Amino acid sequence: MEFFERLKKWIGKQSRRFVFFLRNKAVGFVRGIFRFFRAIVLGVRNFFISIYKAAKEHPKSFRKGLMSFFLMGLGQFRNKQWYKGGIFLGIFLVFLIVEFVTSDYIYAPAELSQYPADDQLYFFRDYGGIITRGIWGFFSLGALSMGDAYRGITIVGEDARYSWMLADNSRTLMGEGIIIAVLMVVLIGLWIANIRDAYKTDLRIRAGEKVESAKEWVRSIWDRNFAYIITLPGAILVLFFILMPFLFSFLVAFTSYDAAITLRMDLIAWETETFTDVLFGGEPAWRSFFFDVLRWTVFYAILSSVTVYILGFIQALIINSKYVKFKKVWRLILILPWAVPGMVSLLVFSNIFGGTHGLMNNILADFGIVDNVREFLRTIGLIGSPREEGNIQWFTHPDNANLARAIVLTVNLWMGFPYFMLLITGVLGTIPQELYEAADIDGGSAPQKFRFITFPWVLRATAPVIITTFTFNFNNFGAIYFLTGGGPRYHTADVPNALRGIEPGQTDILISWIYTMAFESGDHDAYNLAAVYSILVFIMIAVVSLYYLSKLKSFWEEDD
Amino acid sequence: MKMLKFKKGLAGTLIHIWLIISVIICLVPILWMLSAAFSDVPHIGRVPIIPNITELSLTNFEEIFTYRSRSGQMFPDYIRSFLVTLAVATISTTLVVIFSSLVGFAVTRFRFRAKKPALLLMMGLQMFPGFMGMIALFIIFRVFGWLNNPFFLALIYVAGAIPFNTFIVRGFMRNVPKSLDEAAAIDGATNLQILVKIIVPLAAPIMGFIAVNAFMGPWMDYILPSILMPNNETVAMWLFRMNAPDTQPHEPMWFMAGALFVTVPIMIVQIYMQKYVTYGLTAGAEKG
Repeated sequence: MEFFERLKKWIGKQSRRFVFFLRNKAVGFVRGIFRFFRAIVLGVRNFFISIYKAAKEHPKSFRKGLMSFFLMGLGQFRNKQWYKGGIFLGIFLVFLIVEFVTSDYIYAPAELSQYPADDQLYFFRDYGGIITRGIWGFFSLGALSMGDAYRGITIVGEDARYSWMLADNSRTLMGEGIIIAVLMVVLIGLWIANIRDAYKTDLRIRAGEKVESAKEWVRSIWDRNFAYIITLPGAILVLFFILMPFLFSFLVAFTSYDAAITLRMDLIAWETETFTDVLFGGEPAWRSFFFDVLRWTVFYAILSSVTVYILGFIQALIINSKYVKFKKVWRLILILPWAVPGMVSLLVFSNIFGGTHGLMNNILADFGIVDNVREFLRTIGLIGSPREEGNIQWFTHPDNANLARAIVLTVNLWMGFPYFMLLITGVLGTIPQELYEAADIDGGSAPQKFRFITFPWVLRATAPVIITTFTFNFNNFGAIYFLTGGGPRYHTADVPNALRGIEPGQTDILISWIYTMAFESGDHDAYNLAAVYSILVFIMIAVVSLYYLSKLKSFWEEDD
Repeated sequence: MKMLKFKKGLAGTLIHIWLIISVIICLVPILWMLSAAFSDVPHIGRVPIIPNITELSLTNFEEIFTYRSRSGQMFPDYIRSFLVTLAVATISTTLVVIFSSLVGFAVTRFRFRAKKPALLLMMGLQMFPGFMGMIALFIIFRVFGWLNNPFFLALIYVAGAIPFNTFIVRGFMRNVPKSLDEAAAIDGATNLQILVKIIVPLAAPIMGFIAVNAFMGPWMDYILPSILMPNNETVAMWLFRMNAPDTQPHEPMWFMAGALFVTVPIMIVQIYMQKYVTYGLTAGAEKG
């Protein structure tokens, strides 16, 4: 009993710490945002001050910078650094050529006289290259959909004589817009570097210093930026395949994009309504269901982490005990569930319980105990349906939510405990034997040794893993999607109209609900709502992980 | 004395009963999968738990190794999905090892201004539900014509693995004494030579761990390929399709056979890799 007292105390202490951390961070967070904006404002101010100073103190060098301002590389040419100027000019030309080649500028005059625009002309939409058109599309998300009248013709979905007669696809425009935005950031960065370089080199020339040769320049870049250069391929991949999609889905939360939008027929618009509606008003159902699912998600994440930990601990202790021979054999068999890929086990289990004629029901029927089992499950509150005959509906009956949830947790236990068994077995080996010897001398009993030596030691060593397991389970999409598919459904009467078609199942955790909401609800797909929810999930996971990170000193250590 | 012996005997017996029960519970689903894979019972719910040795049948394997959903296909569906996944896994493993070691080297051996923000950013990116970027990835893939192309799917796995691996490699390379590369630098080795000749050989075990993980990843990933490879099925998609009641063919028995075929090698690797189990969780946590 004392053990539970201690555990309770420990949990209480941890949760108090967490709340304290949150409160602290909330203050720090606001302060951080404030500092962030102040830093931006100050940065911009200092930037202009430094430009002003440069213009005043070194007007001639400043002029070189100005040359590079108007045309990349020009200042470098004046500095007689042909190689450098060539590279900068080349980069600039590449952007220009790409813009021009992908544009239709040359056709514009002829077509404009043939199809004059009476009131409204979207010039960059009609003739712009990938850059100007991308920028236009990103801000407007399209202007014309099928059937609109424009420049004397009707906008169509396909088979148009000129490309500008085609309807806008808001989704593509948004995606391309983000790609262009990233490219523009790169270009602007290079452009600023080019201006600074022209200015600084001129300063050095005037001070009578030797200007580096082409070879020296390349060498210095290679040496100085070696860390950046070798990180570059990886960074580009992360930027393109992780960060950009992340930005995109973040932005989708602020659009009107749902299944009611047929691309090309309708336009997507920028709006904040969905976001504010979820948080503050609009549909109360969006919030209440979210909290229902959130409650089950947290419950599931905590319980699934704790149960696998406890069972893993027990198994590790048992196999480690002196009574057990052939430890390796037992361990090998017990880790098999961990070795089977999760997706396969989950699909196998869905075959065991799923349907009304799954393996489980057949076994129970063969033993003739279906009714007994059902009565038992009803007594302990897992089955809620008042009258149910025949086979047990593990994942399908709306009143059997508790049953389905219990099975989800059990299957998770089956899959997850071997990992902790392995881990804790490893940790047990690191406990110094002297501790136990000292306890023996003092006459400590086995339970006491466990309580005062084994348990604290293991808990300390594995505490970070419990947190990562928690965050993993919080987002453990497969554990729900492959096993129950989210079922059982809610009673139709309980589903508010606002969520019809995108309602969660009763075992759905947030992540699997978001997935089905965005991709598998057919005519009801709600991308914007899904994006809003995933931002909320992101924030919650981020808070927990930040807390965890803040406790890991080694993460912040400098590498030296 | 006798009493004590009896007590000890009782404890031993209880422990063994407990162990036997847990072993049975662990084995039953796996045995059932085996049994189903080698059985030709028409309904999956009727497959016996213990494989019936006298009635072993290879029907399911014959079916999956010959079934073509479209006639004229060069390979049967299953073989095809297997080869596609193999391609993805090979490409992503190669690139993951190269990129992760480069990034890990940069992060542990150099001080640069963007380091801390970059590390934080990577931590943050790991927390975002990945598939929400799926719509964007789908658009990018369509705009550039990359849909159904294993190479670009592999690139996503590489990008996804880099943040996590950076921390693992960082944790490992920190413990490689810096005096080694300093000595080499004094002898006139360039940064690149230090990386290739000193760091990479020393980091071989962690690279092996990363490579195995990268290779195993694509086999059981469903969501990404289901959206980016609509006409170029991977093994996970095939497995899922055999189980989904609303698509044809719905053949849970084939699933069992096909799953067994990829599960056995994966299990062997996993069991072999169990000693590395602590690597994965020490991302950034080592040295306590």
